[in-house]
Amino acid sequence: MSLLRYESQVRPPLVEGNKDYHQVTEDICRPVEAKPSKLWWIGFLISVAFLCFGIFSVCMEVTYGVGQWNLNKTTGWGWDITNFVWWVGIGHAGTLISAILLLFRQGWRTGVNRAAEAMTIFAVMCAGQFPIWHMGRVWDAFFVLPYANTRGPLWVNFNSPLLWDVFAISTYFTVSLLFWYSGLLPDLATLRDRAKLKWRKMFYGIASFGWTGSTKHWQRHEALSLVLAGLSTPLVLSVHTIVSFDFATSVVPGWHTTIFPPYFVAGAIFSGFAMVQTLLVVTRRVLGLEEYITIEHIDVMNKVIVLTGSIVGIAYLTELFIAWYSHVPYEWFAFKENRVNLNSPYGWSYYLMMGCNVLSPQIFWFRKMRRNLLLTFFMSILVNIGMWFERFVIIVTSVYRDYLPSSWSTYYRPTIWEVGFYLGTFGLFFTCYFLFSKFFPVIAVAEIKHILKRSGENYKSKMDVVEKETFDDFAHEHAHDHGA
Amino acid sequence: MASTRDTFQVPKRYNSLAIALMAIGIIAIIALYITTHGSGGTPAEKHQSDARFWASLLQNSVYFLLVCNAVIFFIAATTLAWGGWQMSFRRVSEAITVCVPVVGTICGVILLTILFSSNHIIYHWSDNNVVANDAALDWKSGFLNKGFFATWTVFTIVAWSLVGWKLRSLSRSTDAGKLTVEEGKRYMWTNTVWAAIYIVIFALTVMSSIPWFWLMSIDAHWYSTMYSWYTFASSFVAGIALITLFVIYLKNTGYLEFTTKEHLHDLGKFQFAFSIFWTYLWFAQLMLIWYANIPEETVYFKPRYFGAYSPIFWMVFMINFVAPILIYMSRDSKRNYATLTFMSMLILFGHWLDFYQMVFPGSVSPDHVPTILYDFGVGIGFVGVILFVTARALTKAPMIAKNHPLIKESLIHHT
Repeated sequence: MSLLRYESQVRPPLVEGNKDYHQVTEDICRPVEAKPSKLWWIGFLISVAFLCFGIFSVCMEVTYGVGQWNLNKTTGWGWDITNFVWWVGIGHAGTLISAILLLFRQGWRTGVNRAAEAMTIFAVMCAGQFPIWHMGRVWDAFFVLPYANTRGPLWVNFNSPLLWDVFAISTYFTVSLLFWYSGLLPDLATLRDRAKLKWRKMFYGIASFGWTGSTKHWQRHEALSLVLAGLSTPLVLSVHTIVSFDFATSVVPGWHTTIFPPYFVAGAIFSGFAMVQTLLVVTRRVLGLEEYITIEHIDVMNKVIVLTGSIVGIAYLTELFIAWYSHVPYEWFAFKENRVNLNSPYGWSYYLMMGCNVLSPQIFWFRKMRRNLLLTFFMSILVNIGMWFERFVIIVTSVYRDYLPSSWSTYYRPTIWEVGFYLGTFGLFFTCYFLFSKFFPVIAVAEIKHILKRSGENYKSKMDVVEKETFDDFAHEHAHDHGA
Repeated sequence: MASTRDTFQVPKRYNSLAIALMAIGIIAIIALYITTHGSGGTPAEKHQSDARFWASLLQNSVYFLLVCNAVIFFIAATTLAWGGWQMSFRRVSEAITVCVPVVGTICGVILLTILFSSNHIIYHWSDNNVVANDAALDWKSGFLNKGFFATWTVFTIVAWSLVGWKLRSLSRSTDAGKLTVEEGKRYMWTNTVWAAIYIVIFALTVMSSIPWFWLMSIDAHWYSTMYSWYTFASSFVAGIALITLFVIYLKNTGYLEFTTKEHLHDLGKFQFAFSIFWTYLWFAQLMLIWYANIPEETVYFKPRYFGAYSPIFWMVFMINFVAPILIYMSRDSKRNYATLTFMSMLILFGHWLDFYQMVFPGSVSPDHVPTILYDFGVGIGFVGVILFVTARALTKAPMIAKNHPLIKESLIHHT
């Protein structure tokens, strides 16, 4: 006989409390089926207000031109591209959790993947705004698409990493969206079947594409998930790799360095996980999902944060070291005078980045700290401030002093419309997240059920007998004999 | 079900093979010494032939040390991630890590001999006269100096060996008797702490400073921030290939009855994934340097991409990327012993060749590839050492850590 559902009791359970399949459905669907709370309305309306201000700021920029922003000839990229890279980075955790952690068989991903994937999609939507509106003459935006045209030799520049970005990000967005939505289908069907109101039945009926839960459906669903996971895995790496190429292919001191691709990816995962923490620490509390997104989940994600934060730290120090070691005066000047020098105009931002991204996450080496919710929430915000400043440091401190001091930029600070645009993307992000948390189950019901009998607290406690068996008895009874 | 074979007994043929391989290595070293030092010549020529000789020892010892050390990394990483699946062959990984102090000592002696001998062709930054007339090397002497190199090298090898030993002895401590769940939790905690200590050391050595010192400083004027991570990726794939080979050998001789195709499939996936990861770093480093086209950086790829080393350079790409991605793509190939054995050997050779092109153009000559057969012979000798030491280590502990808290998960493991 072989035992398929066993997990060591040494591992903490991933679903707490006395749950059965029905209870799982009840718990997770409850917030979707209940009327939105006052708190939800307040949050939602604030988000919409921010979104409106963002739209207004963009209107200002489109109407009067990029001159509405404080970019200049030397500092041609400022808040816009910083925000773009920041949002793309945040959009990495979802697909990492759903694809790569799936391949690594990390059971805890089931508690957080749905919300993380949704967050990914919203973050990429925000990111995409920046390069589009940065174009200035946005009505010509379709020029980035390579298609047969009557413009003669005017063809997109395939040598440019900026164009690679267009392909990388649109591919990533499409695959992430498909992955997220196909995962939602069984849960949407559950909501449809439970719906008591006509409009709900219709809405979820259309949204669930006629899912019946037949074996055939599940089979295809599983096959599709595997194909999408396979496609997403390289995409997690490729998107931020290509974003890093935007900088690293150039010969700008501070930008051209070979470690950029993997280090950008690590940083993206770092900030993505921080954003997941920000959202889930609140969501689990407000929606009463503490038994599904347990302290254990928070703990594990904080481990990912300390790991990726340290990887990023090694990369920062490597960059700094090689800038010195290379003996290239321009490279060393960029680091020494524009970043490390605290008295330089933007020196403070370098230290802010180092403090938030490298030093502060080190607190998560301690188990007590990893399991402290308030601290986790605070740290998750701090990390994303740090990651914003990482991009700011890379972009602005590398370009604001050109080779000729006569071209040195004046102190670049954003206008209200640049800030407004950024705040607007927060509005977009949270508007989407509020709608998502209201109309969709924030935890993948079907996937939780998949791990329930292996990692659920009540099921695990019933495994005592197996746990107490000696190795030889266990092996005799349960080991798979695959004939070598 | 076959009877449990608890401890490994070294078969005679295995022993003879290991000794024969070591003998080949020694013969190769002697032959290399004779051919390089036979003709006398001017002091400059002598230095050149000395460099040829030592470069071979440097490449082989550093490569095989980093590969064995990658196995400690594998243990530490799976410990931190609570990976239960690999417990059924964990003792095999542990046995390989016994090679770290042995190969480490050989490597340390070779590195320090190169550093402190009067021949400065390999590490030309170690020659004060050269440094005095070279602004760049003079600038770098805060890092590239004999004292720092030697201290850090010794510290690194000792630290890897000690933590490796600690992780092994923690594993051995479970052999005493079955652990309760509470004891299991405490045990996992101690294990996690030591694995974390190792990871910190790993970050400070393999992921940063050690490849700069041992390898990148051969081309002392050249620099690449990617270099250390690239070296890590290379040695890690090879480390997984080494584990796979030992597991398959032991399966074929009737040991490791609880390690199944499921586990091998996962090892195959690791080889597949990290071969692609290696290629990712390979491509990123090459492409960024090519694209920016800065002479100080492109100079490194001149002999490799276009010059005498170009056949090796592209062969490395074929072996380490094209072969794994095509062959390991299918599920069946990762579950087939013959394919796995062939591919693991190929990957070990491919990354050996990668290290070859990292070391030789800078230390011997960018214009011609020396007779690689000698170096291959030296490499065979190191393989012999690893076979010998690992087998000895395997005999000293039960083949399965029966009381490890996660062992049962490994028994019912399915990919």
